[in-house]
Amino acid sequence: MKITRRNILKSTAAAAAAVSLPQLWIPESSEAWGATLKKGEPIKVGLLFSLTGSLAVPEEDSALVMQYAIDEINKAGGVAGLPIEPVIVDAKSDFAVYSEKAKELILRDKVIALFGCYTSASRKAILPTVMQRDHLLYYPTCYEGAECTQNTICTGPLANQHSQDLIPFMVQQFGKRVFFVGSNYVWPKESNKNAKVWLEKAGGELLGEEYIPLSSSEFGPLLNKIRDANPDFIFSTVVGASDIAFHKQFKQEGFKVDKMPIASLTTGEIETRAMGAEFGAGHFLSAPYFQSLDTPTNQKFVESFLKSKYGKNGTTHYNMEETYTSAYVFKAGFEKAAAAVGFENVTPRIIRDHSGGIRVEDDVSPEGLIWIDENNFNTWLKPKIGQCQADGTFKIVKAAEKHVAPDPYSIYPDVGLCTKDGLKAPDGKIRKSVI
Amino acid sequence: MGNLYHNKIAQWVVYVAFFAALAIIPNMVGDSFLLNQFATYCVYGMLALSISLCWGFGGILNLGQGIAFGLGAYGMAMTMQMQSQTESNPIPPFMLNNSLDYLPLLWQPFQSTLLGLILAVTVPTLFCAAFGGIMFRARVSGPFFAIMTLAMLSAFYTIILDRQAYTGGVNGLTPPSAFQFAGVEVDPYSPTAYWVVLFFLTGATFLAKLITQSSFGLVTQAIRDDSERVRFLGYSVAGYETVIYTISGLIAAVAGCCWVMLVQYVSPAQMDVGFSLSIVIWAAIGGRHSLLGSILGALIIQGAQSYLGDTFLATWLLILGGFFIVVVRFLPNGLASLLEVALGLLARPDPTSSPAPDGGRPLPAE
Amino acid sequence: MDLGSLLNALILGVSIASIWLIAALGLTIIYGTAGVINMAHGELIMLGAYSSYMLQFYLGLPYLLCLPASFVVVALVGLALERGLIRYLYSRPLDTLLATYGVSLVLMQGVRLIFGSDPKYLAVPEIFQSNVMLGSVSVSAFRIVVLLVTVLLVLALWLLFYKTRFGVQVRAVMQNKEMAAAFGINSGRIYMLTFALGAGLAGVAGALFGVLAIVLPTMGASYVVQAFLMVVVGGGSLAGSVVASGVTGEMQSVFAFFTNDTLARFIIFVLIVAFLRFRPQGLFAQSGARR
Repeated sequence: MKITRRNILKSTAAAAAAVSLPQLWIPESSEAWGATLKKGEPIKVGLLFSLTGSLAVPEEDSALVMQYAIDEINKAGGVAGLPIEPVIVDAKSDFAVYSEKAKELILRDKVIALFGCYTSASRKAILPTVMQRDHLLYYPTCYEGAECTQNTICTGPLANQHSQDLIPFMVQQFGKRVFFVGSNYVWPKESNKNAKVWLEKAGGELLGEEYIPLSSSEFGPLLNKIRDANPDFIFSTVVGASDIAFHKQFKQEGFKVDKMPIASLTTGEIETRAMGAEFGAGHFLSAPYFQSLDTPTNQKFVESFLKSKYGKNGTTHYNMEETYTSAYVFKAGFEKAAAAVGFENVTPRIIRDHSGGIRVEDDVSPEGLIWIDENNFNTWLKPKIGQCQADGTFKIVKAAEKHVAPDPYSIYPDVGLCTKDGLKAPDGKIRKSVI
Repeated sequence: MGNLYHNKIAQWVVYVAFFAALAIIPNMVGDSFLLNQFATYCVYGMLALSISLCWGFGGILNLGQGIAFGLGAYGMAMTMQMQSQTESNPIPPFMLNNSLDYLPLLWQPFQSTLLGLILAVTVPTLFCAAFGGIMFRARVSGPFFAIMTLAMLSAFYTIILDRQAYTGGVNGLTPPSAFQFAGVEVDPYSPTAYWVVLFFLTGATFLAKLITQSSFGLVTQAIRDDSERVRFLGYSVAGYETVIYTISGLIAAVAGCCWVMLVQYVSPAQMDVGFSLSIVIWAAIGGRHSLLGSILGALIIQGAQSYLGDTFLATWLLILGGFFIVVVRFLPNGLASLLEVALGLLARPDPTSSPAPDGGRPLPAE
Repeated sequence: MDLGSLLNALILGVSIASIWLIAALGLTIIYGTAGVINMAHGELIMLGAYSSYMLQFYLGLPYLLCLPASFVVVALVGLALERGLIRYLYSRPLDTLLATYGVSLVLMQGVRLIFGSDPKYLAVPEIFQSNVMLGSVSVSAFRIVVLLVTVLLVLALWLLFYKTRFGVQVRAVMQNKEMAAAFGINSGRIYMLTFALGAGLAGVAGALFGVLAIVLPTMGASYVVQAFLMVVVGGGSLAGSVVASGVTGEMQSVFAFFTNDTLARFIIFVLIVAFLRFRPQGLFAQSGARR
C-alpha cells in the first residue's frame, strides 16, 4: 500500500480517537490543509521574517512595512469586509528556523498565506513545505527566477527585468568595458548571466567576473584585479554587509566614482545610509522603486509611513515597497477568489489561481501600476535607474517607458516555459513544482 | 546503598521509561506539525548524544560536529533529490541553472537509494575515522583539537558554498517530494517518520550506553581524566580516541539523514559554526556526563527556543546566553548534576563515595 | 599576469596580515597568559566599534581619539568580565570556551536591543578616504593607518612584556603560576590585567574594522574563528601570532590573486589543519605553558 500523507493523517486521527488518550496541547485532529475561514473572524496571514540575526537588517523593515500595510487595509475596511490579522514570527536568520516556522504558520496557526523571506536560501528552505500543503507564499523581493512553482507570487523584479535597462544605460554613459562583481551565491550568478545577455546586445565587453564570499569584508584582492582590468564601470550584485565594505574600500583604495561608477542591483537607501552617503554618492542602482519617486502616491506613502509607529528607521526602500504592494496583491486576489467560490471556500491555492492578471493601480502602488503575470505569477513592473546623491537620496536618471515582463527562464529557453500549471518543457510535458 | 544516580539498574530503568514515554507521543498528539517538530527535536537529541559521547565520556571537545551531520544530511538530500528525478528528466533543476547538462560523477551513486543511504552514513564516518586518526596520532588534544574541528568545519562550509553546480551553493538542496524507501513514502508529518527517528535515537542511545558501561568506555573515561597516565599504562590512547570520535560521528551522520527526511532541506547553514556550537551548548546544559541529560538538554533548549522564543522575541538570546553562563559557572556538569546531588542527599552517607560534584573532577559514569 | 600586479598583491598581503594580526592580538595575550579561550573576543571587537560610534556620535570625539578611548572602554568591559566570571574558570580551560560563548550571545543581543540591528556608520577624516601611490603600487591610506596602529601595538606589547617589571611578572605567571606566586607575584592580579589588556586591544581592532567594513551587532562573529586560528598556529606567543598572521595574510592575497577569494579561504583552512597536524604546539610554543 502506498502510504500517503492524507491517509496516514486520517489513520492517525482515527487511532488517536480510538485509543482516546488525553490529547496534549492541541485538541483538534489535523487535516491536510485547514485554514478555516469563518464569517466575522479575522483573516490570518503569516509574517515570516528574521527579526534578529544577520538578515534582520532588511527583513525587520519588511515586517514593519507589512504591518503598516495591514493596518492601512484594515482601516479602509479590510479584505472582503474582514480585518487581516498578522501572525508574526521570528525566523532568527536561520534557514532551518524558516522551515520550522513556515510549518508552524501553516499547520498550527492555519494562516491563509505567508508573506516573507528575503533570500533565495530561505525561500528554498520553506518551499517543500509550502508546496506539499499547496499553500501560498508572497515573496516580496527580487530573485533569480529559474523556478516554476504553483505556490508563490513574487512582487519584486526577476533577474531578467533587473538589469535590462541598467546595462545599456551604463554602456552608453560610461563605456563598453565592464567588470562583474557579486557575492558568491545563486542570485548574483544568475543575475550576471542575464546581464551578459544585455551586455552583448549593447555591444559591451566583459573584462572579468569575480565572486566574494557572503560574509567577507576584505575587498583588497578584488579591487586590485579591477584596477588591473581598468573597466569603464563595475556591475555589482554584492549584498548585505559585504556590499557596504565594498563601497567603502572602493573609495579608500582611491577609485573615483566619476571614472568608474558601480552599477548595483542592491545598493539602495538603507545601504547608503549605513555606509555614509559620501561612499554611496555617484553610484547607480536599478530598482522598481526609490524613496525619491515623484508621484503623489509615493509622497503620501513615504510621509504617512514615516509618521506611523512602524516608520522608526526613517527610510523607505525598494524592498519595503515590494512588500507593501504584496499586501495589496493579496487583498485583490482574496477578494476575487471570494467572489468566485464563496468566502468560506477560499484556500491558498484558489487565491493564487485568481491572482493572475491582478493589477495594483497608480493610486495604491508607490512605484506606479504593476500587475501579476498570468502564467508565472511574477510581476510586470518598470525598472528605474537612480543615481545616489551626496545626501544619500537617489535621483532617478532613467525610467523604463514600458512595463517589462517577468520571465523566470529567459536564459534557459531549452528548459521550457513557466505556465500556470507547471513548467512546460519543449516536448510539451508539464512538470509541477520545479525548484 | 550509594547514590541511586550511579546505580546501573536504576539508570536503565530511567532510560527505558524515557523512551517508552517518547514512543507514545504519536498517540497523544494529533497535530502533524507538533509531531514533525518532536521528531526534529529527537534529531537534535541524537546530536547532543553524540557530543556527550565524545566530549563527556571521551574528553574530546568537538566544535565541528556539523561536519558529520552536514555530510550525512547532504548524502540523504542527494538521495532524495535523485528519487524525484525521472528518466525524461534525469538532472536536478539547480544543475541546469549552473550550466551542467549531465549528471556529475559525484551524484551518480545516489541514483540508487540504497547506495545513496550507505554513502550518506559511511562517508562522514570514514571522514571522522581518518581525520580523528591522523589528529589523535599526532597527539592533538584538548582546545587544540576543538579549534582544528572548527577550522575543518569552516573549510567544508566554504567549499560547499563555492561548488554551487554540485551542491546548490548557499541555497542548498530542496528535494521536492518526501523520502521513499522500498516503495513506501515516508511522509515527514506522519507518525511513521517520527518512529523512524525515534528508532534511531533509541538505538544510538542504547549503543552509547552500552559503550560507556563497557571496559572500552571505562578506558575512554580514564583518557578523559588523564590521558598521560593511561598512555603510561600501555593503552593506545589515539586508538581509543579515534574509535569514540568515529562512533560519535556515525551517530551525527544518522542524525543528518533523519533531519533531511523530516525537513526536506539542507544547506551550508547546517555546517555553520553557530550550529555546531549550539549542539555543544545542548550537551553542556543538559549535562555532558549524562547521555540522557544531553538529550534532554537538546529537547528543552530547542523547545524553549520555539515556544519562549516568540514570546520573548528580542530577549531570547539574552536569556539563553545568561542561562548558559550560569550553568557553566555553577553547574559544570549541567542540569543532570542537580539530580545527582539531589539523589546523593537522599542516599545514606557512604564513606567510599564522596558526593562532592563541584569543580572539575567528574565521577566515573553517570 | 605582470609583475606589477603581483607586487601589488604582495603589498596588499601585508595589509591583510595586519588585519588578521590586530584581530588576533588581544586573543594572543589572553590565551597566551591565562590559557583562556575567549569566544567573546569577536563581540569585544564589536563593542570597540560601537564605543567608537557612540563617542563620535554623542560626544563628537575625533576619530583618532576614538581609538584609545575604545581601548579604555572595552578594557573596562573586559575587567568586569574577568572579575565577574572568568576568574572562577581558570582551572577549566574548556569551560572558559563555553562560558565566553554565552557571554558573546549576551553581548550581541544586548547591543542589538540598545542600538537596533541596523548598521551604524563611523566617520573618518577625509585624508584616510583615499589612496597613496608609491610608484606603480597603490595603497589605501586607511590600510596604512591599520598597519601603523598594528605595528605600534606590537612594539608596545613587546616593550611591555620584555622591558617592564609587569612583563617579567606576566611571563613568570605564564611559565609557572605556583612558582611565581611563591615569589610574591599576585597571579590573580596579573590575569585580571592581561585580560583587560587583551579586551582593550580587541576594542582598538573594532574601532578600525568599523571603518573598513561595517558596524553591526553581528560583525564580531566573522573575526573570532580566524583570530583563533592565528593564535593556535602561532602557539599563543606574540611572535607566533605575528608570523602566523604575516604568512596567512600573504597567502590569502596571493591565492586570491591567482584563483578567487572563496577558494583562497578554503586553501588556507586546509593548510592550517595540515600544519597543526605536524606541529600541534604551534609555531613558537612557550616552554612550560599549560598544555
